[in-house]
Amino acid sequence: MKPAILPLLLATALVAPAAEFSCAITSSKGEPVADAVVSLVPLDVSAPPVPATAQVEIAQQGQEFSTYVTVVQAGTKVVFPNHDTVQHHVYSLSKPKKFELPLYNPGQAESLVFDIAGLVTIGCNIHDWMISHLVVVPTPWFAKTDAQGAGTITAPAGRYRLEIWHPRGATIAKEITLKDDTASRETSVLTLKPDRRVRRALGAKSTGY
Amino acid sequence: MLLLAGLIALVQVSVYLLVTRANESNARKHVEQNLQIGAKIFRQNLSERIDFLAGSAKVMSADAAIKPLLMQDPIDGDTLRSVLLSYTDRVKAPVITIFSPEGDLQAMTDEVLGKENVGPFGYLIRQAGENDMEQASGYSYLGGKLHVLVVVPLYAPYPNVGAWFGLAYPIDTAFANAIKNTTLLDVTFTSNPDEPNVRVLSTTLNPPMAEAVARHTATREASLGSELLSLGGEPYVTLFESLDLLGEAPARIALQRSLTAELAPARELERIVLYISLAALAAATLAALWIARGVSQPLQQLAQHTKLVAAGDYTQRIELPREDELGQLATAFNQMTAGLAERDRVRNLLGMVVSPEIATQLLQSDLKLGGEEREVTIFFCDLRDFTSFSEKMPPTEVLTLLNRYLDRMSGIIEQHGGVIDKFIGDAIMALFGAPVAMPAAANSAVAAAREMARALEILNAELRAEGKPALAFGIGINTARVVAGNMGSKTRLNYTVIGDGVNLASRLEGLTKEPAYATPIIVSEATLAAISPRPTARALGEVKVKGKSDAVRIFALSAKGETTPPYSV
Repeated sequence: MKPAILPLLLATALVAPAAEFSCAITSSKGEPVADAVVSLVPLDVSAPPVPATAQVEIAQQGQEFSTYVTVVQAGTKVVFPNHDTVQHHVYSLSKPKKFELPLYNPGQAESLVFDIAGLVTIGCNIHDWMISHLVVVPTPWFAKTDAQGAGTITAPAGRYRLEIWHPRGATIAKEITLKDDTASRETSVLTLKPDRRVRRALGAKSTGY
Repeated sequence: MLLLAGLIALVQVSVYLLVTRANESNARKHVEQNLQIGAKIFRQNLSERIDFLAGSAKVMSADAAIKPLLMQDPIDGDTLRSVLLSYTDRVKAPVITIFSPEGDLQAMTDEVLGKENVGPFGYLIRQAGENDMEQASGYSYLGGKLHVLVVVPLYAPYPNVGAWFGLAYPIDTAFANAIKNTTLLDVTFTSNPDEPNVRVLSTTLNPPMAEAVARHTATREASLGSELLSLGGEPYVTLFESLDLLGEAPARIALQRSLTAELAPARELERIVLYISLAALAAATLAALWIARGVSQPLQQLAQHTKLVAAGDYTQRIELPREDELGQLATAFNQMTAGLAERDRVRNLLGMVVSPEIATQLLQSDLKLGGEEREVTIFFCDLRDFTSFSEKMPPTEVLTLLNRYLDRMSGIIEQHGGVIDKFIGDAIMALFGAPVAMPAAANSAVAAAREMARALEILNAELRAEGKPALAFGIGINTARVVAGNMGSKTRLNYTVIGDGVNLASRLEGLTKEPAYATPIIVSEATLAAISPRPTARALGEVKVKGKSDAVRIFALSAKGETTPPYSV
């Protein structure tokens, strides 16, 4: 890429009218699906790089991860602060990133950069019920559905591969085209597997003793 | 028939009762066996639970993740507890504790159970530590509730013990229900029977029934084994077993099976048998009644007809159109009635045709030709000049008059025991002493003759009053040995007498026509000799009888006993 063209391209990207893409995701039972990851991977141009300052936090608090699903662009730095009262041992054996942050005390924070796109499932070695999903995508255009199952992405016009992912095992990939100043709407139905998260043991608090 | 039905009923009732008793006894035995098996399954279950807990605890104790925590000084109790909580899901034991190698409690999953409540774990830790055991287990109360406890060491590495894990699983209602699911038995755990108030620790029964078991346990003292308990009005076969506790008096296990529930299928069968029996009995009774009606009704009909026949009514016939024996009986009965009617008719007719005595003789004896010789007084009576008399009158009038005369005369003869042998026109032949022998036959014959003479006077008085001519008769009487019997052909015969004596009697009657004799009654010497006392008689001399060489002396008897003329009649 020639240096003379770069500012022009950037200018084009910045001033180019953007298209708004919104999607609504429901389960096969018709209920809205939250925590679904929606991303648009450009097909004709390469995605812009992630800013060097980009940083996301997945904290431990109350013996849980602060977010169940987190989406980041590849190259983003993720911080794992321990805001809890007990120690934690954060780790993952997922393909894009295998790591462990051995027992560290409340108040401490560890951080890692996730370069490779893919799904990283994060757990705590000593608390089986602590699970968090970090979805690393190769694009800055992504969203996570809210409680109403809705997500919105603003991206330039062009051809994209729409990818939808959910922790309970449903994935959709299809090609879409965004046009300038035209709002696109996508409605997807996901067939989810049963929720098999480890239940947190809260300790015997029975009053019968 | 009804007796038979009753018998069947008796048999059925007996069988039913026997089956019921056998069922109950079998059910009791079956339940007791089941309880023994249930007790074994229960202990097996506990043993498996212990093995599972111990196995889980060993895997847990080898988990690397917890070791860095144990390396820290001081121990981070909160983090340690959070780790144990994480383990509860892995090993499915609700209570997990961790102790220092010295046996001090470092963390436990249960917030409520205090340090003072984990004594039983300490007991097991000491046991395992002293004996270098890979696991130790037992039963105990934790916070007053019955638990199965397991202790395993965390080797760091073997033989150094870095910590002790203690796991506990409650023997609670869920556990009792799990046993019930596999054994179909009710189970109740109670505290030691020597406690002042025996507590129900866990049970599959409802609370009042479980309390009843607990109370009963207290009264049973230390005795174990099975017995029949009444719980909530239902009989329960109950097996009591002991459960040893760590350092405490043993608890009690009561395994129960409702006898009613066990008997339910048998009861169902019994009920079906009862219904079938009752139905069969009803059917048998109906059939018996139906058959009895089919038999008794014709029998009653026959009895009714028998009474009628006995009373002399032969006109009734039984209508019984049946093919069976009763039908045949009815037909035979009808034939018998017809036969009786016929016989009666014949007898009546015979009585008219012959004298009743002869008729009786005929009916009693076999009708055979031939006779017997016997002494008979033969009596002949003939009307004087009846031939000329009859010529002056129309025949019907003659017959009427004759019958009128004969009727009276024969009546008198019969009154005196005479038997009319036959009517010969206007003449009467009668026998005294045949066919039935009679004493003083000659007396009777003479008495009859005299009464006939008196009767004739009365008849003549009537005839004169009617303007008709008077009648006169002559009587001859002879007594002789003659042959008496049935004479004639095989198909037609008469009872009569034959012999010279008969001819003489007839001859004597004929002699009364002689004016010289001037008497209506002539008797032979034999007759006169037979009369006792000998009456006054007028000797008439001797007559020669045809075919006889000897002459016979004859005598006249007056009609009214007079000895000199004029004689009456």
